[in-house]
Amino acid sequence: MKSMKTLYKVIEDKTITWFENTNEYVVLENTTADILKRLSKGISVEIIVNALSKKLDVPLEKAEDFILNLKKKLYEPNNSAKKEVINDDRYIKKPSSYNFVTFYKINEVIFKISYLNEKESSLIHPKFDHLVIDAVENFNNEFEVFINNNYIFLYVDKDYIGSWSHHHVHYFQGKFSMEIIQKIHQKKEEEWLGVFHASAISNGKKSMLFLGDSGNGKSTSLALLQANGFTCLADDFVPMDAKKQEVYSFPASISIKQNSLKTLIPIYPELATSTEYNFTRLNKVVRYLKPNNTNFFAHLPCNDLVFIKYEKDAKLSCKKISKIDAFQQLIPDSWLSPKKENAQLFLDWFGSLNCYQLTYSNNEEMIKTVSNIFKNDL
Amino acid sequence: MQKNIDNKQEITRKEAIKKIGNYGKYAALTALGTYMILNPQKAQAASAPSDPGTGF
Repeated sequence: MKSMKTLYKVIEDKTITWFENTNEYVVLENTTADILKRLSKGISVEIIVNALSKKLDVPLEKAEDFILNLKKKLYEPNNSAKKEVINDDRYIKKPSSYNFVTFYKINEVIFKISYLNEKESSLIHPKFDHLVIDAVENFNNEFEVFINNNYIFLYVDKDYIGSWSHHHVHYFQGKFSMEIIQKIHQKKEEEWLGVFHASAISNGKKSMLFLGDSGNGKSTSLALLQANGFTCLADDFVPMDAKKQEVYSFPASISIKQNSLKTLIPIYPELATSTEYNFTRLNKVVRYLKPNNTNFFAHLPCNDLVFIKYEKDAKLSCKKISKIDAFQQLIPDSWLSPKKENAQLFLDWFGSLNCYQLTYSNNEEMIKTVSNIFKNDL
Repeated sequence: MQKNIDNKQEITRKEAIKKIGNYGKYAALTALGTYMILNPQKAQAASAPSDPGTGF
């Protein structure tokens, strides 16, 4: 049998198995994972069938059926992957001039970003408006963004990065952000462990991730916490490096939805007059709040994952949750490096985490609870 | 035709195992074959649109 690269990590009473060829994570019973391990060691199906038949006291043919089926489903490479449409970009000419050219400064790094029209700008600029500086002669990086033939194109320092249809505009935005963090933190894509769809705060020593479905209050909680002594590291796009598994700062603004304004305007009066953006595609109206972080080079270790939920009139509840449940919610929303070494680092990091579910309606109680989680004093 | 099934009759776990006989063993096999496949995003992404719209 062709050998397939897999990684195994026992978490609670399951084994998480990672498959290199698909970058898939599969949550298995420990015995099932042991069967896969034996298959990959080259142990014959017959020997494994005998052992399983004895262990479970089932007839040999039932054990054999089971193992052959498992082998077929999980172990044999699946070649039916959907073929992606290859965009033929060779004949695309970059525009000779851009109608919107904006300069942004992130720490000391200056970006010149050229948008062909307002449309392109509207997909990126609002989240970075607080970083705008006057035009300068010398800049460190140049990004070009233009729509041609219903595809949006991204070039970084004259190199073609990619093009996306309107269906995949969130991948364009993700790639744009990825290019930004590579430039700010001087790390190539393979040096990142992953990017989480979360909010990240820090107490100056370590960081904490907030997760939860859209509308659960991740960003609002983040805004409340940054007004109470914590620092916003990243909102919506949270990168983690491979080398030290630390959460890195991302300088985009915090997006605040309409229904949070009442809570936040007393703390952030500027929100009352800030521009409102109506994203019909996302079905939401948002205003942007500047992160209080002043050092966008910041990166800190992270030991806690918190599934946060604001629920009107809810009594405060904060409890540890099963890591397997947390894993099932985290993975489909994250980009995770397909490199084997990085997948191992990710599994080890995940294994060391504490996972919580925090439901609240009283802001002060939520802030106090987060503070206690940071102090390991829950 | 009239069916006379008394659903209220309760049996002990031991009796239940005896009743299903050999099939009980296969429940363990079924449990081993139950797993969840999780796929991370194929690329870095911003919050995904709920309605992708009709074009740029």
